Amino acid sequence: MTPAGALGAAAQVVLVGAGSPLLVGAMRQVRARMEGRAGAGVAQPWRDLRKLLRKEAIAADGTGPLFRIAPLVLAATALVAAAVVPIATTASPLDGSADLFAVTALLALGTVALALGGLDTATAFGGMGASREMVVLALVEPTILLSVFALSGRVGSTDLGAIVGSALHRPELVVSPVSLLAAVALAVVVIAETGRIPVDNPATHLELTMIHEAMVLEYAGPDLALVEWASAMRLTVLLGLFANLFAPWGIADASGAMPPVIALPIAMAVFTGKVALLGGALAAGEVFMAKLRMFRVPELLAGSFVMALLAVAASYFLA
Amino acid sequence: MTAAAFAAALALGLLGALAGMAAPRRVRPFVAGSCTAASGGAGVVAGVAALTGHPWTAWLPHLLPLAGTRLAIDPLGGLFIAVTGAVGVCAGVYGIAYARPLGRAVQAVTPLFLAAMLLVPAAASVSTFLLAWELMAVASLLLVLAEHRHRASVREAGLWYAVMTQAGLVALLGGLVGFAAAAHGESFARLREAGHALSPGVRAAVFLAVFAGCASKAGIVPLHVWLPRAHPEAPAHVSALMSAAMVNLGVYGVVRVGFDLLGGGPVWWWLVVLAAGAASALYGILQAVVATGLKRLLAYSTCENMGLVLIGTGAAGLLAHAGAHTLAALALTAALLHVVNHAAFKTVLFLAAGSVVRAAGTGNLDALGGLRTRMPVTTVLFGVGALGASALPLGSGFVSEWLLLQGLIKAHGSGGTPMAVTMPLAVAVVALTAGLAVATFVKAFGVGFLARPRSDQAGSAAEVPDAMLLGGALAAACCVLLALVPAAVVPGVARAVRVLVPGPDAVTGAATLRLHGVASTLSPLWIAVALAVALAVLRLGVARRARRKARLWDCGMGPLSARMEYTATSFAEPLQRVFENVLAPETGVHVTPLAESSYLVERVTYRARVGDRIERRLYRPVIAAAARCGEGARRLANGSVHRYLGYGFCAFTGVLIVLAVTR
Amino acid sequence: MNESLYVQLLDLACGAFVLAAVLVLWRRDLGAIVRLFAAQGFALAALVVVLGAHDSDAGLVAVGVAVGVLRAVVLPLLLRRALPAGGEARETEPLVNVAASLLVAALLALLAYAVTRPVVALEPSPATHAAPVALTVVLIGFFVLATRRRALAQVVGFLLVDNGITALAFLTTSGVPLVVELGVSLDLLLAVLVLRVLTARMRAAFGGTDLDDLQELRD
Repeated sequence: MTPAGALGAAAQVVLVGAGSPLLVGAMRQVRARMEGRAGAGVAQPWRDLRKLLRKEAIAADGTGPLFRIAPLVLAATALVAAAVVPIATTASPLDGSADLFAVTALLALGTVALALGGLDTATAFGGMGASREMVVLALVEPTILLSVFALSGRVGSTDLGAIVGSALHRPELVVSPVSLLAAVALAVVVIAETGRIPVDNPATHLELTMIHEAMVLEYAGPDLALVEWASAMRLTVLLGLFANLFAPWGIADASGAMPPVIALPIAMAVFTGKVALLGGALAAGEVFMAKLRMFRVPELLAGSFVMALLAVAASYFLA
Repeated sequence: MTAAAFAAALALGLLGALAGMAAPRRVRPFVAGSCTAASGGAGVVAGVAALTGHPWTAWLPHLLPLAGTRLAIDPLGGLFIAVTGAVGVCAGVYGIAYARPLGRAVQAVTPLFLAAMLLVPAAASVSTFLLAWELMAVASLLLVLAEHRHRASVREAGLWYAVMTQAGLVALLGGLVGFAAAAHGESFARLREAGHALSPGVRAAVFLAVFAGCASKAGIVPLHVWLPRAHPEAPAHVSALMSAAMVNLGVYGVVRVGFDLLGGGPVWWWLVVLAAGAASALYGILQAVVATGLKRLLAYSTCENMGLVLIGTGAAGLLAHAGAHTLAALALTAALLHVVNHAAFKTVLFLAAGSVVRAAGTGNLDALGGLRTRMPVTTVLFGVGALGASALPLGSGFVSEWLLLQGLIKAHGSGGTPMAVTMPLAVAVVALTAGLAVATFVKAFGVGFLARPRSDQAGSAAEVPDAMLLGGALAAACCVLLALVPAAVVPGVARAVRVLVPGPDAVTGAATLRLHGVASTLSPLWIAVALAVALAVLRLGVARRARRKARLWDCGMGPLSARMEYTATSFAEPLQRVFENVLAPETGVHVTPLAESSYLVERVTYRARVGDRIERRLYRPVIAAAARCGEGARRLANGSVHRYLGYGFCAFTGVLIVLAVTR
Repeated sequence: MNESLYVQLLDLACGAFVLAAVLVLWRRDLGAIVRLFAAQGFALAALVVVLGAHDSDAGLVAVGVAVGVLRAVVLPLLLRRALPAGGEARETEPLVNVAASLLVAALLALLAYAVTRPVVALEPSPATHAAPVALTVVLIGFFVLATRRRALAQVVGFLLVDNGITALAFLTTSGVPLVVELGVSLDLLLAVLVLRVLTARMRAAFGGTDLDDLQELRD
């Protein structure tokens, strides 16, 4: 473990923890402006979180300890993922302990905790949200692993640091069909995993169309704050991972020439820019799209699966 | 060491059987259960001793007429003996309390069943192996039939199981006896020498026959039909023994014969294994995700996990054939580690499911719920097992599935077109299986244990006796150990693998697993520590405050009732719809209008049933054909004694005529 | 053109080529299917031009441009005019549902890869390595022909098959004689014209272009 790596990992956690609500705020702002509204400002999610945190903690009738601990687990998995994923540095001390499989499984653990929390409420909405979330989770999994397969082909390792590092040293690999196909596949995955349009609508309050929101219907106060914060962090981590897998430039490399004290702030600034750009693009895309019917979602995911399989095939078709 | 412990294990098994027959009624469950547990413990010691470098062989010429008994415990056998023994310990302890209301037969046969299972991996000749195999099959059949007086479904399940297990034995018998005849000797050492030199046709026939026999024991699609019937009907600790230990021996048979005795084979063998594994994994988990019976769900999950093991085995065979021994060792390590993990979590799950069925009187998930307040320990145990089965971090299945995926991903570069085409598909299958497994166990745990009771039976359930909790807790402790410190067992698995594929250990490392020749690492321990730290920080950060009780959101309609909850059926409905083409569910909506007006609805009934499509399509026609033959045969037998004697007379003269003509 | 840039461009063109075919399976909207076909024609033209530029073969570049004009502009225009003014603008119920079609497409890609291995091994070069891509498109086109109900989707399936064959020819032999290519293109044009007329007649006779209606003609 290098001090620079440890510093980088800490910086990543702080950046994601503090910055993710701002990302959500920025995305809402983009949507608002494009829809002709003034918008509440970029910092509004933070104000919401502060308000929620000051509220009284609620124990909904008939819920058990799992309901209470689920938001904590969700947030903890998001934080650990933020420390592991190469966001600002490829030399995180935890990098060796989790690869891309482990990171997706870790995020899935958070989802599962929340789904169990939803089921624990014994309401129809909780069960409905949990059930739908599990459908999306199960169908997304093959795409993720096949994309990893395709991306790891050129490196010979599924370690995130190694994949990002190789893209850094051989930029021409990034525009190969393998990368492009995998990028399309992973983009769908990111949208599905973070519950954005067209898979789920994060702004909906019509119960029958909700996936994620139905699961968390019973959370209030500090619990809800944790859930919202964790969702924002997951969005940031996934967008950041996506950005760095396909456009890693600016990240503080383990073997880089610059001292970490200089490289790290630069990397963080570049990362903020990349994620803001991606988030803005996502929000802008959402303005022009409608949510898909629940049973059309498998088609979308099957499409992304084909992209991922073609990416794998291309990795040795065109080798 | 190995010899003494193994002999003690067998002796304790026999002692347990005697005690189960003869001990006074009051102490019988205790004595039989303790003997089973002790026998399992001795088995673990023997297995671990063999794994740590104390192999053992024995030749007992007089124990069996003609062939004699030949035993040998090498690291591979040792691994399976240790796993079986460990399951036996948990099941034995659990049985002390669980088997009390069951009959004498269960208590006497359980230790015998365990001893037979310990004997299978120790057999070193064809006759010994087949004998132990058959002993295991008969003992398990008796145990499945234990409650035949109470439920008619038990008899049906027993019939299915008897047919499948005996058909499997016939396949195995044909394969191994043919092998022994071709090799001119029946000891495994002799087979090993001769295995290479046999003609390809004989080798293929032997392999296919053995694979079919072992696949029927391991519950591989399409030979899995007995599993979802037998497991729900057998007593819980027997289910655990069967599902966590006995099915493994099917894998043992494939690995022992395929890699060791036959010394590997051509590509198509392993493609068959891989395809069977993939079909089993997908079909098993798809059935599990829509199953509503808790034990039926677990049984299908066994199909799935054995499928995953066979995927690893098939990939290892392909790689070994291509000469990539390091990667073959990696895939095989993953497969055998998954055997160990599956044994651990499936033991917990079946034992906990047994407790639920005992306490609530039903295993139907649609009628369960709310057990977390009434059976807190059982809930935690089931949770640990479910986490392991869903292959998420902090669960034991995660490590082996990770290794399996690493093996598959790395494999495609070596081995030509078949590798390049099958490996991505295998990865996709494993991934889809993993995703569906998560949904399956969220359903089983969330619907079965959380929320509110969906029936009065579930509402009046109470925690089970301590011995049953202890049995489950032992297995749960194994799960946690395997999940956090897989390095504790990986060296043992690696030694077993070395028997089959020469070369260096594929997986090394203590806290962090490192792969030989593959630059990927994983550290479940550090992930767990990081998660624990994050949890602690968050817990401190979001200060603990007194919680105010509040009503649930009920749309302003008044208190919610348990009827409004999502059930297991409703939870799985979206997935059932997505995979409609595969599962072919039978659903029907029936709307009864009011008498006054056809526009007003009086009641709507919705009926959904997901049967086993393979059983319907593959087995029903065969059974129908067999029944038709039977009907035909009945016409031959009309009850006239003269007719029967006439048949005998015709057959006798017929044989004589044939003899006269041909001589 | 330097070698690595050539490979990059070739691979990109191939990627877009096969992607367009997969998306044809995905979309239900007939208008979108025609647009995707146009995009694929463009990718094919780019493929041929890249091959020509690499070999410094002006004839090949010219053929590429001609192919582009025909397949990315002329044929899509013809197809677009065959789209009915209103109604039945969607492939509502294909014989194999969309998700399953996509999975089949993935399997077809692997099949194509397995089948073309020996061909690629004959003369390994960046161009022949992309041969499986062309075969994949042929197979997907065939699949579209076999499973889609609307006549227009079928025409696109037929054109996909032809695009695939053309690409295969260019990738494996680095160019067919100009005359042959011209002949094939004219045939294609003719076929599309005939099919258009047929579609129009069908619509007049049956009020729709669901090909299953043609079963009535058998009696």
